[in-house]
Amino acid sequence: MTALLEVEGLRVRLPTPTGFATVVDGVDYHVEQAQVFGVAGESGSGKTMSMLALLGLLPPGSVVEGRAAFGGKDLLRLRGRDLRAVSGRDIGMVFQDPMTSLHPMLSVGRQLTEHVRRHLGLGRRAAVERAEELLVQVRIPDPTSALHAYPHQFSGGMRQRIAIAIALACGPRLLIADEPTTALDVTVQAGILRLLDGLRREHDLSVILITHDLAVMSSIADRVSIFYAGRVVESGSRASVLPHPRHPYTRALLDALPHPEAARDTPLVAIKGTPPSPQQIPVGCPYHPRCPYAIEVCTTDDPPLAPVNGRRLACHVDPFDE
Amino acid sequence: MSKPALDLRDVEVVYERRGRERVRAVAGASLAVERGQIVGLVGESGCGKSSLARAAVGLVRPTAGTVVFEGREVTPLTRRARARELARLQMVFQNPYSSLNPRRKIGSQLADALDALDLAPRRGRRARVAELLELVGLLPSAAARYPHQFSGGQRQRIAVARALAADPSVLVLDEPLASLDASAQAQVANLLVDLSRRLSLSLLLISHDLAIVRHVADVVSVMYLGVMVETGPTQPLWSLPLHPYTEALIGAVPHPDGRGFLPEALPGEVPDPARPPAACRFHPRCPYAFDRCKQEDPLLRRVAPGRTAACWLQTGSGPPARPAEQAQRLPLLHTEE
Repeated sequence: MTALLEVEGLRVRLPTPTGFATVVDGVDYHVEQAQVFGVAGESGSGKTMSMLALLGLLPPGSVVEGRAAFGGKDLLRLRGRDLRAVSGRDIGMVFQDPMTSLHPMLSVGRQLTEHVRRHLGLGRRAAVERAEELLVQVRIPDPTSALHAYPHQFSGGMRQRIAIAIALACGPRLLIADEPTTALDVTVQAGILRLLDGLRREHDLSVILITHDLAVMSSIADRVSIFYAGRVVESGSRASVLPHPRHPYTRALLDALPHPEAARDTPLVAIKGTPPSPQQIPVGCPYHPRCPYAIEVCTTDDPPLAPVNGRRLACHVDPFDE
Repeated sequence: MSKPALDLRDVEVVYERRGRERVRAVAGASLAVERGQIVGLVGESGCGKSSLARAAVGLVRPTAGTVVFEGREVTPLTRRARARELARLQMVFQNPYSSLNPRRKIGSQLADALDALDLAPRRGRRARVAELLELVGLLPSAAARYPHQFSGGQRQRIAVARALAADPSVLVLDEPLASLDASAQAQVANLLVDLSRRLSLSLLLISHDLAIVRHVADVVSVMYLGVMVETGPTQPLWSLPLHPYTEALIGAVPHPDGRGFLPEALPGEVPDPARPPAACRFHPRCPYAFDRCKQEDPLLRRVAPGRTAACWLQTGSGPPARPAEQAQRLPLLHTEE
């Protein structure tokens, strides 16, 4: 089976006052049909930039290298109208804060119909019907009156559902969700995760879920990639990586999380230090200054992402090998 | 038992809105923070927990009830200086990006806090600033830098250091962990526990995330739509929630174990606080609601040692049990009456 999206050697450099900063440094991944692909890492690890690059949404002056095969086209080579035709129609995107991604002055109906009229060429009446259908799909109660309401009249969870409805408007094959539940209460988060899971099961939608929260990823992702300093340090199936992390960074991210089934007095273990800034990526393994297992070679050589029993790992030490 | 460090009794906070109905954001809630204790206050957004926190430090005037801090009533902030004793009650806000001044160095901002209360002579200020930074795990050199030069977690620690400048005995923290990464969250959570133990500081920690509160708090109060629905020591409350809402909050927590557990979603939304449901405020979303829940408001009452719940399922006659088990015994409960 060929993947829906196949990214190879993605490298993103952003212009800064002091020269270019490499924020994504040679990333490979693929997303299968009807799968949820989870991308995790701390803020600044390059997760969001690697997705914005696919949609041509990087700041002007950015330099992108690599290949992103999607439906027989290379997204990184498309420009202007051609890119919009693909990214507007076949790829939907949902952001962290629905209050900033929704237009506050336009009714929900207007924002939902605009898309389908533009990309699918539907008439006004058909577009309204489609809009209602979408609101039903994301489980907004009373969709007819919701169409005439404005974003501020909804709660945070409902707003995020509306943002998802807009992203789904043209029937995309891929949905990129960037921290879609981070701004929400846990109860509401659970509802959004169930919604995304249902969309994948019932509508064959593929989802890229970007999150800093491995617990969120653990609930719906099929495969995961852990990002650090613009590269992937570990990737594999959810069921293999999360219960048995092999990279010290993946392990550290998990140890920092409160675990619902842990004994009460298990302390949360914070990762020492902070992620490096893209201008000052350490030589060798970028994680070595924070890594308790680092040895000599980690300070000089950057470990390649290499296959080890069914997953890929970038670590010289591999301290959790079983 | 000695008097609590911070005692909120039957606090009510009402917001008047021009041309619209008033909102009773806090509808009679009580909470006590003992000396050196960490109390977690949890609930979804819109449940009134931030309003209660603001009432606790005097940022809003309660329309009813009392807030007593170390034996003295907390009066709302005015333009006049407040009593010196009340300065030992401090607050830390959710977003350190907006609570710190972006244009002043960290050292100056901490020194301001000291100056405002005449807490350090000019000469000792620099040393005290360094001490405050060390307390929160930062180097003294941080004093010469600006807020934007720090990560979110570091900034939140600076906000804590500024609150510590007043030499407080109680800190009220409104969602101090919500805007942070998992790792930064763990750092700040551990710091708070550590500070509380070292300085015998009482903490009132407000959060929507029961999973993190469980690792930090000694006791937990759960709030729903302006009222407390359950309180208890953290561990028993987590392993045996007595109120269906507490149970729902725990069920919604995702598990990072890779087994693909899909968290339970609580149906419906937090209702408009201006128009709360009659009788038990939780009944429209409660999977176990029965007739009585729609007719009478359950009061918060003691159902086991150290534990209170506001639920008709918990009669207090038998041993406490999960809402689901109690619901199965429902016919029995009916005949009892």
